[in-house]
Amino acid sequence: MSGVQDVRQRNKGKGINRDASGPSSAVDYDDHNVAYLPSRSYIESFLNTEEASAAVVAILTIIAFFTRFYKINHPDQVVFDEVHFGKFASYYIRREYYFDVHPPLAKLLFGLAGWFVGYDGHFDFENIGDSYTENHVPYVGLRALPAILGSLTVPIVYAIMKECGYSTIIAAFSAIIILFDNAHVAQSRLILLDATLIFFLSLTMYSYVRFKKLRYQEFSPQWWGWLLATGTFMACTWASKVNGILTVVAVGVAVLIDLWDILDYKKGHSMQYFWKHFIARAAGLIALPLVIYLSVFWVHLAILSNTGPGDAFMSPSFQETLRGNELLMKSHEIRYYDTVTIKHKDTQVYLHSHPERYPLKYDDGRISSQGQQVTGYGHEDSNNQWQIIPTKALPETGRGRIVRHEDVIQLLHVNTGTVLMTHDVASPLMATNEEFTTWPKDDHSRYNDTLFHLRLSDAAPGEAWKSKSGHFRLIHVPTKVAMWSHPTQLPDWAFKQQEINGNKNANEKGAVWYVNEIVDSQDPDLKAKLEEVEMKEPKRLNFFKKFGELQLLMLQHNAGLTASHPYASGPINWPFLLSGISFWTQNEGQKQIYLIGNIIGWWASVGGICIYIGILGADLLARRRGLEPIPDDVRNRLWNSTGFFIIVWAVHYFPFYLMSRQLFIHHYLPSHVASALVAGSVLSFVLSETINTPVSAWGPSVKPRPTTYADHGVKAPVMVAVFAIAMFSLYLFISPLTYGTPGYVHSFQSSLRTMLTHLLTVSCRLTGEQVNARRLLSSWTLHFAAKESGNI
Amino acid sequence: MKPADVALNFGTPSGSPRTSSDFEELNYPHHHTATSNSPTGSLGWTAVPRREEELPLPHYMSEDTARRRVPRAPAVDGGETFVAQDEKHPMDYDVYDDGGKDVYAKMKAARGPVGSGRLRRPPAPPPTTVGELIQQNLEHIPPIIYTLLACWTRFHKIGKSGNVIWDEAHFGKFGSHYLKREFYFDVHPPLGKMLVGLAGLLSGYDGSFDFKSGEAYPEHVPYTAMRVIMATFGVAMVPLGWYTAVELGMSWRACHLVALMVLFDVAWLCISRFILLDSMLLFFTFTTVFCLSKFHNQQYHSFSFDWWMWLAMTGISIGCVTSVKWVGLFVTALVGLYTIEDLWDKFGDLKMPVRDQIRHWGARIGCLIVLPILVYMASFKLHFLILNHSGPGDAQMSSLFQANLVGNDFASNPLDVAFGSKVTLKNMGWGGGLLHSHVQTYPVGSNQQQVTCYHYKDENNDWYITPRWGEPEPDAEGPIRFLQDGDVIRLRHAATTRNLHSHPIPAPVTKLNHEVSCYGNLTIGDEHDYWVVEVVDDIKRGKKNNVDKIHSLTTRLRFRHQVLGCYLRAANAILPQWGFKQVEVSCEKENNPGDVHTYWNVESHWNDRLPRGNTKFYRSPFLRDFWHLNVAMMTSNNALIPDPDKEDILASKPLDWPFLRLGLRMCGWGDNQTKYYLLGTPVIWWAGTTSLVVSLLVLAVYLIRMQRRYADMEPREWDHFIYVGKIAFFGWFLHYFPFMIMGRVTYVHHYLPTLYFSVLMFAHLVDHFVLTSKRFSEKTKWIVFGALSFTIFACFWWFRGLAFGMDGPINEHWGLRWRRSWNIYND
Repeated sequence: MSGVQDVRQRNKGKGINRDASGPSSAVDYDDHNVAYLPSRSYIESFLNTEEASAAVVAILTIIAFFTRFYKINHPDQVVFDEVHFGKFASYYIRREYYFDVHPPLAKLLFGLAGWFVGYDGHFDFENIGDSYTENHVPYVGLRALPAILGSLTVPIVYAIMKECGYSTIIAAFSAIIILFDNAHVAQSRLILLDATLIFFLSLTMYSYVRFKKLRYQEFSPQWWGWLLATGTFMACTWASKVNGILTVVAVGVAVLIDLWDILDYKKGHSMQYFWKHFIARAAGLIALPLVIYLSVFWVHLAILSNTGPGDAFMSPSFQETLRGNELLMKSHEIRYYDTVTIKHKDTQVYLHSHPERYPLKYDDGRISSQGQQVTGYGHEDSNNQWQIIPTKALPETGRGRIVRHEDVIQLLHVNTGTVLMTHDVASPLMATNEEFTTWPKDDHSRYNDTLFHLRLSDAAPGEAWKSKSGHFRLIHVPTKVAMWSHPTQLPDWAFKQQEINGNKNANEKGAVWYVNEIVDSQDPDLKAKLEEVEMKEPKRLNFFKKFGELQLLMLQHNAGLTASHPYASGPINWPFLLSGISFWTQNEGQKQIYLIGNIIGWWASVGGICIYIGILGADLLARRRGLEPIPDDVRNRLWNSTGFFIIVWAVHYFPFYLMSRQLFIHHYLPSHVASALVAGSVLSFVLSETINTPVSAWGPSVKPRPTTYADHGVKAPVMVAVFAIAMFSLYLFISPLTYGTPGYVHSFQSSLRTMLTHLLTVSCRLTGEQVNARRLLSSWTLHFAAKESGNI
Repeated sequence: MKPADVALNFGTPSGSPRTSSDFEELNYPHHHTATSNSPTGSLGWTAVPRREEELPLPHYMSEDTARRRVPRAPAVDGGETFVAQDEKHPMDYDVYDDGGKDVYAKMKAARGPVGSGRLRRPPAPPPTTVGELIQQNLEHIPPIIYTLLACWTRFHKIGKSGNVIWDEAHFGKFGSHYLKREFYFDVHPPLGKMLVGLAGLLSGYDGSFDFKSGEAYPEHVPYTAMRVIMATFGVAMVPLGWYTAVELGMSWRACHLVALMVLFDVAWLCISRFILLDSMLLFFTFTTVFCLSKFHNQQYHSFSFDWWMWLAMTGISIGCVTSVKWVGLFVTALVGLYTIEDLWDKFGDLKMPVRDQIRHWGARIGCLIVLPILVYMASFKLHFLILNHSGPGDAQMSSLFQANLVGNDFASNPLDVAFGSKVTLKNMGWGGGLLHSHVQTYPVGSNQQQVTCYHYKDENNDWYITPRWGEPEPDAEGPIRFLQDGDVIRLRHAATTRNLHSHPIPAPVTKLNHEVSCYGNLTIGDEHDYWVVEVVDDIKRGKKNNVDKIHSLTTRLRFRHQVLGCYLRAANAILPQWGFKQVEVSCEKENNPGDVHTYWNVESHWNDRLPRGNTKFYRSPFLRDFWHLNVAMMTSNNALIPDPDKEDILASKPLDWPFLRLGLRMCGWGDNQTKYYLLGTPVIWWAGTTSLVVSLLVLAVYLIRMQRRYADMEPREWDHFIYVGKIAFFGWFLHYFPFMIMGRVTYVHHYLPTLYFSVLMFAHLVDHFVLTSKRFSEKTKWIVFGALSFTIFACFWWFRGLAFGMDGPINEHWGLRWRRSWNIYND
């Protein structure tokens, strides 16, 4: 948006000349606008009055609400990712701790919405297709939130265009692309985060545009107001979903360009002035958003004070801050000669042994030691009990008997009276790892091989070993391997139990174990403690530590979402709408919800971007050859205003190419909003020789500029009207896939009337042929399609 | 007349070491004389003095500083070897005469021919005495010395370890294949390996050794000679580094720095001393940068002989580097970026005639696109010509190609396929393999027996063509039933007797297709085992209508599942480890008649009752084979993804490289072995990476200061700073960043071409801040230069054992583990 200033400078120079030659008039003609502007057509002037604009936006908003709320109660079943986000709302209401890769704001809002409609959080949203009505979930209240935000996005998009100086009809064009977009509608009607994300994103853009327009009134109250609003909404976007961070980047890029222009010597600003601007933006766009982002997490952690399904993700010290957490309740110090059960952290199997021995020879011809088997076993069993034997002298009583970090211990298998050991024999399944077995406790011939180093995770020297919270690795003293397990079953001779072996790399994830329970203790106090069931007060932990840990985990898990998904798609498919996502299907009545956009709108948007790049490319080439095909002010509008939209589009799109996590088409929706804005401004450029100026507010130091208008004429309203009708028709045509209600569109002729009269017609299934007809691109994978007839 | 003009233009200050005789050698570019016919031409001469008056003062300064950058050979007599500034072609001004209004444009033009990079010198008169000859060539003495030193470092104790070290196991073996002329398959293009083969040929190796990893070389393998030939490429890196620095216009001390760093980097040294492709890759990367900088220095002599030569040399060099390893595409991209920028500048030059514009574009397209492609294709042509015997890589290629290899018996397969025949089925998609099944089952989906596409010959590729359930099995005595279009068959896997089967269960990778498995046995099965044979066409007989019986090799078939209507397809989707990284076979619901991945042909064919065929096949066309092999290489390369279940201690991540977090044990680590550890000279790597970060910061500071109108440099200085910086930074970036997004396994040696650019950047920044700075005295420069050179040498000397080979228990070599992450010692 920067270069507008250049124009200003240039025009200022001209203005001065003119002032010298004669009185300045309100209407003035730029050099480039060769001809006198024709008086604007009646329709155009009328449309651009405030009343008309208000009427247009009102109509758009009403339609938006109607499209988003129409049959919002259908289906009364859990759809797609409602499995996750509905669940999270329940957890907020139950105040149980959960873990998710997305920041909490949007989910908090769902929690709030649920609380508002009196939902008690009892439902778990386990599977797609679970019934809401049978379980008495006020799901309409939950769905209403994204529907409201999604509907409001439409007028905001209109307002962005309007504020950027486009005519009413152009603004309506951009808004219609969003309004009649099936993907936006489908995404807004369900308990999903994207509507919130897009709502805040468009608010961020709107605020930033308003802020930019006040650049000649710097540091005025309004200027500060819109700066802080930008920061606030940006933080909300960021806090709604993890890809909101891209919005921060997009605004950051725009601000950097802006600052770069302020820095320009030609502008005649001092460095002091520059620093003032810099600090203002740092405060409004860095400090404020950080505070908001942190507060959202603070609220999140403050609400989720009870133990819940997310506990296991967190570190022991974090878990102990949750009320009712197992670690908090059942974590005790372990003493020598205690009998314990030990569990593998990753796979949750017990360290187990039984009298059966390894077979002499495996299938692949390798030889074993024929020692007693040591395996991982999933169920409670007396063969899971191990006693901890010291290797040093102990005091009779007292804290000297506690097992500590870095101690060397032996583990005695209680039932068979043998001690755990490992040695340089290949394990049954992995030739590179060592076999674990046991050795009679009285036979000291292999004493050294039974010694293990106890290494607690993140422990201070001398820290006590605790059950539940004390995650540890068991390092074999002579050979340095770590006791390790992996989810691979042994053959029948070990009853298909899990293999345990010694891994040379002690830092592997699979080498972490913990004591599940102290079965028997010599310590009389502990016995008493084990009995007691009093409620312990949760411990406290610094908020920033908790935040840091959570943030790190979110990033790790987000990157770790790499499992393949049948409806995942690559970024290259998105702008062209090559594939959608099947959200929900119901065999009865052959209903389905398929997330797919309105092809006309999407292709118009991507076409807009292509034309934009083409125009600028051609202009650059022409300028390189000394030709100036586009007047300066029009060109600046393209570079700055449309350029901002392009930045938002590109920043929300291209990073996905670098991500290796699974990606879905709904990740493109923020970019799609930006591309709709681009399409609007490109349409304006195509239809008009001129632009509406000025759009920015006067400042004290700036001379008023002549007002010019874009001359769209009558063709613009006609074109947009035709476009709107086409969009609407296609929207209706695809809508059975969007709403999952084939009923009202069973015949196209009656559909309009049906919509208008709100009649719920009898549900009638979409036939296979009708499904096929709706499959506009061959890459869409719809359910219940008719079999293709005929070969080749 | 002309020389005088030029002299006036520049207003050479008195005391300049230039003599007027320097200017007498000017040769004027051709196209300028052409323009002198223009009407303004005659006016030009009168315009010159006036312009000279109007030139502002900074113009002198720019010349003044330019002089300081003139590379000076370290000769005693500075005056003689001093390089002339430049040549001027005053015609620029003559044509463009606006009465002296546009001073800025003129300054730019006047500055132009000076350019950045090395300044052009006039050709010296032919030497008359030996003394003069030496005088004239004094500047070549340092590179000669460096080359001799490089010979020592590269060849010293090169045969010390008589074992197959590291990837010699691959590349030595491939070299052997060339000597034996057996077709093999590898992910790298053939040029480097052909040179290995040539090295073997020159040193008298007969190709009989199979280069097992770690094995001792037998008597008859002249591995030392082969290593020496490979190391020669490594030797050549050093003078190339020197001359590139010269051409980039660095000061003489900076040139020494570059040469020293190239000479003394242990990783470059170590990788050059074995039978590997890296020394050739590095060599050609170096030549590409060298040719590019040479070409850049010809920029004001467009279409001169030298200009054409260096442009063509750049193209050939690009072709060679990409024919050694595909990593060469990164340096190609660097040349591409340079060319785009160059052409963009030319495009904006409104004074340049359209004809010249077109010639410029044409020259680039011809020399930088067509020529490299020709070189690349020529290397493949040669590859196919040499490898005309059947070998281990056959199955990667199309059946027709294989049939043309000596030692292959496809041509004698029975021609007409019949029921009861045992066949192998080859997928005709680019890089397709043979239909395969093995006893292992799918861990997902149906849990039935896996069906894959496999690239090697194996009994598990054999299938019997059998009729439907209920129809009689082919009778050994009865009439032979030939296979025809539209027949419904079962395909029985020969080794396991199970039938090729598909069912509506999503395939493991391509989830939208149906899974294909092997199910049942000789007696158990159902209608899901039925496949309809659809003929597409025949390579020999043409359209489908001409095909009566199905022929092996030439008939293109599709298999449609009778019940589901889906088509058998294998399209380079790789199965996870449980499928041994073989290619997934699935059943495609969509019917795309043009999809070659659903095309199959019968490759091997056995049927005792049929006469052996004796067909002379059409030769497989070169372009098709070329493309086929490249797709196959691409597919295999992409399949080299790290296995998440297995930790490869040799592999490293790109982030480990710039600061040398990890080294690489190149061989066994036993006490009695000679051990080599691939690790760079730490100071060179660290300094290089740091300089890249610094360069960005410096650029930001300079840009901000320019935005605030602080003039830190003369335009020419700035141009030079940016030009060298761009080459170094983009070179580094293009060689480094792609590895970050690449899925495949990466090793530390992938950073070695990248390192070159960080070395250039380091020398450039030292040059910029110290060696050519006005702030420092000559003495300071000597001290800085001396300290840097000594550090580099000392560090090399400390680590020389890594490349020369270390004997005895490794833990007795003290002080080598500078970073804790280096696994150089046994714990």
